[in-house]
Amino acid sequence: MIRVKELKVKICSSEKKSIDVVKACFNRIKKVEPKIKAFLKLNEENSLKQAEKIDNLNIKKGLLEGIPIGIKDNIMVKGESMTSASKYLYNYISPYDATVIEKLKSAGAIFIGRTNMDEFAMGGSTETSAYQKTANPWNVEFIPGGSSGGSAAAVSAGMVPFALGSDTGGSIRQPASFCGIVGYKPSYGLISRYGACALASSFDQIGTLSKTVIDSALLTSVIAGKDYRDPVCQPNDWIDYTYDLDSSSVCALRTIKLGIPKQFRDYKTDFEIAKYFNDAVNKLELECSQIIEIDVPAYKYVPALYKVIMCAEVSANIATFDGIRYGYRSPNGKDLNDEYAKSRTESLGDEVKKRILFGTYVLEAKNYHKYYNKAQKVRTLLINQLTDAYKKCDFIFTPATLQMPVRFGNVLPEECDIFLIAANLAGLPGITVPCSFTSSGMPMGVHFMGPRFSDQKLFKMASAFEKISNFNIDKYPIL
Amino acid sequence: MLKKELETTSFLARINIKDKEKEKYLADINAMLNYIKILQEPDVKNLKPTTHVTKIRNVWREDIVKPCPRDVIRQMLDMAPEKEKTFYKIKKVISTE
Repeated sequence: MIRVKELKVKICSSEKKSIDVVKACFNRIKKVEPKIKAFLKLNEENSLKQAEKIDNLNIKKGLLEGIPIGIKDNIMVKGESMTSASKYLYNYISPYDATVIEKLKSAGAIFIGRTNMDEFAMGGSTETSAYQKTANPWNVEFIPGGSSGGSAAAVSAGMVPFALGSDTGGSIRQPASFCGIVGYKPSYGLISRYGACALASSFDQIGTLSKTVIDSALLTSVIAGKDYRDPVCQPNDWIDYTYDLDSSSVCALRTIKLGIPKQFRDYKTDFEIAKYFNDAVNKLELECSQIIEIDVPAYKYVPALYKVIMCAEVSANIATFDGIRYGYRSPNGKDLNDEYAKSRTESLGDEVKKRILFGTYVLEAKNYHKYYNKAQKVRTLLINQLTDAYKKCDFIFTPATLQMPVRFGNVLPEECDIFLIAANLAGLPGITVPCSFTSSGMPMGVHFMGPRFSDQKLFKMASAFEKISNFNIDKYPIL
Repeated sequence: MLKKELETTSFLARINIKDKEKEKYLADINAMLNYIKILQEPDVKNLKPTTHVTKIRNVWREDIVKPCPRDVIRQMLDMAPEKEKTFYKIKKVISTE
């Protein structure tokens, strides 16, 4: 598997055929997918047809002409199924394209399959999928992370060059880090969510998973931009996020100030993650103008804060799944209310139900001020403290996760993704970049988080780090 | 959360919980409530709640119906568990008893 950036040049100059690239993907899929189970559905026939059509074009002007991509199963592609890995949507066929899909179609990308995820993106291990468990390609007894675990495993195992995911509380960046690839969540409002299945609307963003930073930047250049159908989407001018990433970015570090939160020391961190993170800090110290310690006391409220607001928004969003207009309807309903309840009870998974119940509870009139409103105020406190921190540094630098992936059936501690979740709570862009392999042969990553709409600069930072780290991105798991 | 509160909440959420599952849900939800106690700690009474990080405000526009492509309408209706002509069919809402 080669990088998208090179692939694009070769296909556009007709040096390489798209059909050969698509065939190579499916050959790899046939070999490794039985062990990984990253895809819920594959479109081999259509992909090959589309590739042939693109190979026959005289001029290939799309930014991703003939390049295969994996799509998380919560993003709509017209005429294709979308289950969000839930039984409730078992027979749902998307009636229209998500905005990001419209943009990818006009750029010439080929959708080769739908990737597995936690049910409605609720989870951090892809184990809550109602259909199958996805394995971590570096060790198939371990979780790939989640909720975009299918996308992360597919890219990491070389089945597809890059993929789309969604990130509500680290759902792109955590699995990317667990699978040894790059995961990027944009600033809130950079990429339209129209046509994506909502989890918690004030956090949700669509983002990218790829082997290299420049490939994520390229994909972002295609899918970002204003969309009147997503009201939070901001009217920014088109930006080429790949600009200048190839050449000068290591030199660009000379003017960068990095901040490491003092609160990092308060948490139990995996011994090896701490060690390799320190190595990375030492390496960056030689290149960056300054690495300072910053103080964001509100970090300690992040997991609790996230839990309250996310579940509250979940309970409102999932209310739309009532068995009336589409999806599963229970045959046992006696009246309308009974039909609602039975349709939901019989088709939703335990994790989803737990979050709906908790969310409903914190929104009840007697609890609203004590829990929900309070959490919203603490969210303001966190945002204020992060805004102050960015007066002293350009990016906040931490390990991506505080623990390594666990075996199936084991639970990660709540604090594991704390530095990733902060980005969702404050609407900031974050990117995880693979850093090192630990003694177990599993990868670990680091996380850069910038001020809102510093995405372009963030790609430069990540790309520069990628160049100075020793992580071998050409290494693929042996499967 | 008390058992009675769980019953009210599960009705509000339209999720049925079997008697034998109640203990498990109660334990899980109470563990979550215990975990979020930390949010009572900081003094935030002078802060405004954040519902959204964007500074969007409500704007008014004319309520104009835009036509929806026929094939989309058909596809949407085709997915309905039960329908009649162009209507979704549901159980009786008002009881006659």
